[in-house]
Amino acid sequence: MTAATTGPLAGIDVLELPGPYAEYTGKLFADLGARVTLVEPPAGAAARGRPPFLDDRAGPERSLWFGYFNAGKRSVVLDLDDPDGVTRFRELVAEADVLLDGTGHPRLMADRELGPAQLRSLNPRLVHTVVTPFGTDGPYADWEATDLVLMALGGLLSLGGYADGQPTRAYGDQACLAAAQFAAIGTMLAVLEAEETGAGQLVDVSAQESVVMAHENAVPYYDLEGVVRTRNGGTPRQAAVGVYPCSDGHVYLLAKGLGVFWPQLVGWLEEEGVEGASGLREDKWQDDTFAAGEEGKAEFQAVFERFSMQQTKEELYRQAKAHRLPLCPVYTPADLVANPQLAARGYFVDVHHEATGRTLRMPGLPYQLSATPGRTQSGAPRLGEHGGGSLAEPVEATTAGAPR
Amino acid sequence: MTLPLRGVRVVDFTWLGAGPYTTRAMADHGADVIRVESGKRLDRLRILPPFRDGKRLDSLNRSGYFADRNTNKRSVTVNLKHPEAPAIILRLIETADVVTSNFAPGTMAKLGVGYDEARAVRPDVIYLEMGMQGGYGPDANVVGYGQTVSALTGLYHLSGLPDQVPVGTGTNYPDHVPAPMHATFAILAALRHRRRTGEGQHIDLSQAETMVGLLGPAMVDATANGHDTMRQGNLAHDAAPQGVYRCSGDDRWLALSVLDDDQWRALCEVLGAEELAGDARFSSMRDRHARHEELDAEITARTTARDAVELMHELQRRGVPAGAMKDYRDLLENDPQLRHRGHFVVLDHPEMGPSAYNAPPFRLSSIDEPVLRAPAPLLGQHTREVLTEVLGLSGSEIDAMTTDELLA
Repeated sequence: MTAATTGPLAGIDVLELPGPYAEYTGKLFADLGARVTLVEPPAGAAARGRPPFLDDRAGPERSLWFGYFNAGKRSVVLDLDDPDGVTRFRELVAEADVLLDGTGHPRLMADRELGPAQLRSLNPRLVHTVVTPFGTDGPYADWEATDLVLMALGGLLSLGGYADGQPTRAYGDQACLAAAQFAAIGTMLAVLEAEETGAGQLVDVSAQESVVMAHENAVPYYDLEGVVRTRNGGTPRQAAVGVYPCSDGHVYLLAKGLGVFWPQLVGWLEEEGVEGASGLREDKWQDDTFAAGEEGKAEFQAVFERFSMQQTKEELYRQAKAHRLPLCPVYTPADLVANPQLAARGYFVDVHHEATGRTLRMPGLPYQLSATPGRTQSGAPRLGEHGGGSLAEPVEATTAGAPR
Repeated sequence: MTLPLRGVRVVDFTWLGAGPYTTRAMADHGADVIRVESGKRLDRLRILPPFRDGKRLDSLNRSGYFADRNTNKRSVTVNLKHPEAPAIILRLIETADVVTSNFAPGTMAKLGVGYDEARAVRPDVIYLEMGMQGGYGPDANVVGYGQTVSALTGLYHLSGLPDQVPVGTGTNYPDHVPAPMHATFAILAALRHRRRTGEGQHIDLSQAETMVGLLGPAMVDATANGHDTMRQGNLAHDAAPQGVYRCSGDDRWLALSVLDDDQWRALCEVLGAEELAGDARFSSMRDRHARHEELDAEITARTTARDAVELMHELQRRGVPAGAMKDYRDLLENDPQLRHRGHFVVLDHPEMGPSAYNAPPFRLSSIDEPVLRAPAPLLGQHTREVLTEVLGLSGSEIDAMTTDELLA
């Protein structure tokens, strides 16, 4: 295959120790043409037991979580607690360009005498990327974490959730995924260097720090102004900034603050003959203190909802586009799958999953590289599909009745 | 070893939230990133808060929102609407490895510096555009910001409590990590391809698509099973209890996850709640998932009078994943781990004075010089320097361009 079909990372050999912190890193590399091989324990990667499952039936080849993040990768099974497995692993490392350790517990590897220095001695050009909750050193280096704990210790949880209620995290393990994205950049920097100089290195990625990077402006707010930002979800921030209901769901409207779209919005509501719309032309709406106060927010909401509750989110979006106004529907996954913009770009792709004989429609690449487009090359691998030892007890699906 | 992107030049038109973090990741690692800005079409982040001491003072150089995204870059002012602007910009692009923009689709071409013009002067250029919904398609020109992208991509619908309005992350999240980090990754991949083949290319990134891809399992659950994953608050498939529990003090909370029965017993001990450890309602993981609301109430009753940081330490000593919810004062002033890692670096800015910047969240072991070297540039701080050094213009040529308002 040529670079045009396999992507700009063709020829890069990546070994991935599966875990929550780098599964997306491996996917980013695989989709741009690298050969990414999961080194799974005999029981399989834990993510094989992670919901959702195809047809809601658990099984080591049925996890859609695993199926999405591991599409395009290969799988070998090695028991790293067995000397033969360790020997085989060393052979693989000696030939690899990159080792991604996404387990979050690199000390396990050090205990097996497979730490960074030992592996680099086998392969001096190895880029060894270790993605952990807190980084490889410091007082929290050996602490236990989950995505929720990292959202808390990285600060972003303090901005998420309800102003008068509890903080809530984002869906989908975004702390782990933030770390995985930064790991992809750190790894690429080191790959560029290794391909120039022949020298590999350790890339030490902290998920906590990756979450801190999402602060928006909260770090300088405290540093420069002494202001501690807090969460404000659940209610509009000011009139015409926030989530508003409509007949079949919600929309997000941004017509003040960053958006300077108030006149378009009022003009639209007047055109529609919405009762009270012309009152939005009064001078008081130009006063941010009023617009951000309870009275202003409630008055606007009453006027806007008179209109929005008669419309679907799609109708509101269509009209907002015509008025050049930043209003977007709060889309569900099903809405996105049917979205004409994503369809025009061929965003969702159909990937054949051999292990179940099914074709899975999933998000494709978010960028189109004109010379080397890349693509998701295959469905997620069967456990050990590309070699390794026999299967021991396969990974068990986690508790039935648990959330998706 | 020196920084890995030394010798790479980026001519950078990015502005606002999503674009500048893309090129910052490159600047921090050694690329010469030249911001092309204009006082006549200002990057609005330069005039958005926070400001040093809360005062803008009519300056374009006191915003922390701008500063944290623009370390180690140079700023050149060119009035993009001036008839001579395309010529001078193309001279810069001739020397560039990478061109970046997050203007609305078509804007760069309209300004006379689109991909076709750029590759005419620099055939192997890597040219990235990152529209909110990509460079083509029926909605390519829809106006939007990080929050509206969050709504559009499913992040809102999926984040928050199922019986309340969706809340997302409470920030313009796609602007801060997904869009810029995918953009940087794509550029670095294209740089690698160019080093091997000499071939440049155009990259059309959709900010929305970067976020949708991070919600992949919910998308596949919809396509394969017809399910709507919906909002699940702080629950997780593999932990019960898992949640955020109120502690003593003003808006203090403890996040914790119990992944197995040993951790459950450890939690009960730390909470001094032997009665819970023996409570048949909660004895297995399956029971705890099924009765999570009752369970959360029992835990909250036992944390509200406790200190979140002390509980965190006690639980971590017992191997239970737990973390006190940190606000940004806590992170800057009082986080031993971030301090140990040197995550915040103080750089002395000419107008803002010593100010805190985030270091990249990863360390490359072979880099032996500081990654954060220079604070954000003043508007046009490097116009003269760049035009002299990169284009070889003389002082009097630059003076004439300045008088002519080309460099404004």
